[in-house]
Amino acid sequence: MIGIPYAEALAHYQSTNSRDLKESDMATDELLRAFHPDYREDSLVTLRVGPNQGNRCHRQLAQLLQADARIDEADLAGATIVKTDVLVVGGGGAGCAAALMAEQSGARVIMATKLRLGDSNTVMAEGGIQASIEKGDTPQMHLDDTLKAGHDRGDRKLVAKMVMDAPDVIRWLIQQGMQFDLDEFGDLMTRRAGGTSADRVVYYRDYTGLEMMRALRESVRNSKIDVWDYSPVVELMSNESGHCAGAVISNLKDCSYVLIEAQSVILATGGIGRMHLNGFPTSNHFGATGDGLVLAYRLGAKLRDLDSFQYHPTGLAYPQHLAGTLITEGVRSAGAHLLNGKGERFVDELKTRDHVSAAILKECAEGRGVRVDENTAGVWLDTPGVERSNPGILAERMPKLVELGKKCGINPAQMPLLVYPTLHYQNGGVVIDEHGRSTVPGLYCVGEVSGGIHGRNRIMGNALLEIISFGRCAGQQAAEMSHGRGHKKVTIGHLSKLRRELAVAEMPMDVKGPMLFPECAKFEKDADYEGFRRKKR
Amino acid sequence: MSESDEKLVNVKIDGREITAPASLSAIQALWHAGYPRIKSVGCLEGVCGSCRVLVRRAGNSEVRTQLGCQTLIEEGMQVMFLVFPRPTHHTYKLEEINSSWEVQTKFHQIFPEASRCRECRGCNSSCPKGIDVMRGVELAAKGRFREAGELFVECVMCDLCLTACPELIAPNHVGLFSRRVTAYFHTRPSNLIRRLEGLQRGKFKVDE
Ligand SMILES: Cc1cc2nc3c(=O)[nH]c(=O)nc-3n(C[C@H](O)[C@H](O)[C@H](O)COP(=O)(O)OP(=O)(O)OC[C@H]3O[C@@H](n4cnc5c(N)ncnc54)[C@H](O)[C@@H]3O)c2cc1C
Ligand code: SF4
Ligand code: SF4
Repeated sequence: MIGIPYAEALAHYQSTNSRDLKESDMATDELLRAFHPDYREDSLVTLRVGPNQGNRCHRQLAQLLQADARIDEADLAGATIVKTDVLVVGGGGAGCAAALMAEQSGARVIMATKLRLGDSNTVMAEGGIQASIEKGDTPQMHLDDTLKAGHDRGDRKLVAKMVMDAPDVIRWLIQQGMQFDLDEFGDLMTRRAGGTSADRVVYYRDYTGLEMMRALRESVRNSKIDVWDYSPVVELMSNESGHCAGAVISNLKDCSYVLIEAQSVILATGGIGRMHLNGFPTSNHFGATGDGLVLAYRLGAKLRDLDSFQYHPTGLAYPQHLAGTLITEGVRSAGAHLLNGKGERFVDELKTRDHVSAAILKECAEGRGVRVDENTAGVWLDTPGVERSNPGILAERMPKLVELGKKCGINPAQMPLLVYPTLHYQNGGVVIDEHGRSTVPGLYCVGEVSGGIHGRNRIMGNALLEIISFGRCAGQQAAEMSHGRGHKKVTIGHLSKLRRELAVAEMPMDVKGPMLFPECAKFEKDADYEGFRRKKR
Repeated sequence: MSESDEKLVNVKIDGREITAPASLSAIQALWHAGYPRIKSVGCLEGVCGSCRVLVRRAGNSEVRTQLGCQTLIEEGMQVMFLVFPRPTHHTYKLEEINSSWEVQTKFHQIFPEASRCRECRGCNSSCPKGIDVMRGVELAAKGRFREAGELFVECVMCDLCLTACPELIAPNHVGLFSRRVTAYFHTRPSNLIRRLEGLQRGKFKVDE
């Protein structure tokens, strides 16, 4: 990495007082094309197998979408079969909202999740959740902002549903026992997301996701929902007419397979951060390996925007063991500037995330970043500046940031943090309609696994909104649709077709999907799970 | 400052002798040494509460409970991963509390053990977030739920205090109950309510 050495850059930072903006004259489009990782030509391939054949897709994701399955019929001989009305896959916010609504609508619900209930991207969310509630704001403005930030590639119908539902989502969360930051009169406090026209993000400190997950988990635990921890889904199943009809679970506790037959399945498996696209660090949790995309695609569900990902501008760049850890956009909302190694501002910090990230990558590529070592560079996030103009704000509103500072041995009120873009969010995903239905009957997809709402770029707070809005709706729909339908035959028959297609396209058969766990965890080598991939026959 | 010239330390994690750079967490050290680990791993950021560990430091007989992703390894340190305890037996539904006047009565029905706290401080010393858990239980038992809940802002529901409590109080669930009833009965923001009314009256439309 080229750049200005750390000590020298720190001296520049300390001696510069002018924080005027000398923004480059590059237009957003041009900047993105030159510096945003989505536009790296060598990172894209054309899909050759499946419903999105012919579409552009990120190379690493394409490899998994066109991978062989982990199981075949022989593995399932003698496996236990369990029946339910609705199967929810994933224990994050979207899964909880869906499960709670399905149960409330009278369905028997099983929730199967890879790790523990609540291990998710949801619990990590910091900045907040969007809802147009302030006087000068309207759902229409919320819709316009969302579509515009997504470069007009979002699905208007989905966004319309979401923005109209937003205030009720907040009410529902309060009724689940979630707290929000309130002003002295008890009104919801709001802050502004980058690239938007009104203060619309409501939040709880910088622990919005933790607070949400605590409340939802407690609701789920106190309901009749049957929660299966450590139960990753390795394959979906379908019935004689191609409806999704359940899933194959691999029980990590006793290394056995269990078949869950369900009237409908709701996939809420979250994002892809741990695929480390283009070698970027990530802000995501351990289980964010894109499993849902692979599972749905194999069963024939159409996906979209597979070449568009969000790199959040402010991931921690240093120290190494914390690289990629998110610093909430709330810090920039509160007025923090980004400064290069010369101590200069180079971008309007509240532009959309893709723009700000590309601007940071540009500074680093052109040698104006702060250089730590041959692998690490970044720019300053001027947290002391925020503290100076608003004493006490960091401790009061951003306890998680202060904690993070402690781990780095830095007091963010006195020292700026070094940041670099981090792989944060999957903008696209499974194509859905307003009820969260995918193109495969009986298969719903909600939350980060779905696509269409954020176009090619998401604004802060719309993900948490989406997961609850669509989660609730899909849960209710799935419960209502599941009365009295029965399946004649439930199988993993779609895999024979998949294998034939893979063979015809001459795809390598040694890659297996879904990924389930990041490589660093050495899951494939784990003696405990030896029986897992290939059962002793 | 690159990884190669970082200080190496020797630790024992789940009985395995490991040598790894001092900047790594207990989980990262296991992975670094080539040992698999997926259970008890979650957000890797200290907010999901999954990676509960026992830690003993060199030359110190005290055993502490911490989060594995937040525990940086040190020379001579011993780390043991803990399994998760059975879920608490306390259950309740917010909708079954009819009004805010009933909260105290309900609380003592749901958490009868809370008023039997013996002030042993087991919960406080086991909490990796340094929460004054015992005080929270005391406040909740007195019906001061808002104040009790405030103490649990940083609680990650790791259940370490639940494991530690000899009276089976489930102190973290007491804390969460306190937070939840406060929102359920007292969060009534006028800006939100006004907008909900407007939406109901059809005042807001969007171009689809
Ligand atoms: C650090 C961070 C901060 C964020 N801050 C904000 C913010 O301030 N505002 C905002 O709107 N958004 C924010 N986001 C984005 C937002 O949190 C997520 O997009 C959203 O929470 C996703 O919810 P979800 O329920 O779809 O997925 P998740 O919450 O990730 O849940 C997915 C679940 O599925 C499970 N799963 C995965 N694969 C399988 C499988 N094969 N079988 C069974 N289960 C499986 C996982 O274990 C997990 O429990 C943030 C994200 C991160 C990472
Ligand atoms: S209060 Fe209990 S559950 Fe919460 S963080 Fe502390 S020990 Fe963990
Ligand atoms: S561990 Fe239980 S009994 Fe001991 S102080 Fe805490 S709440 Fe009271």
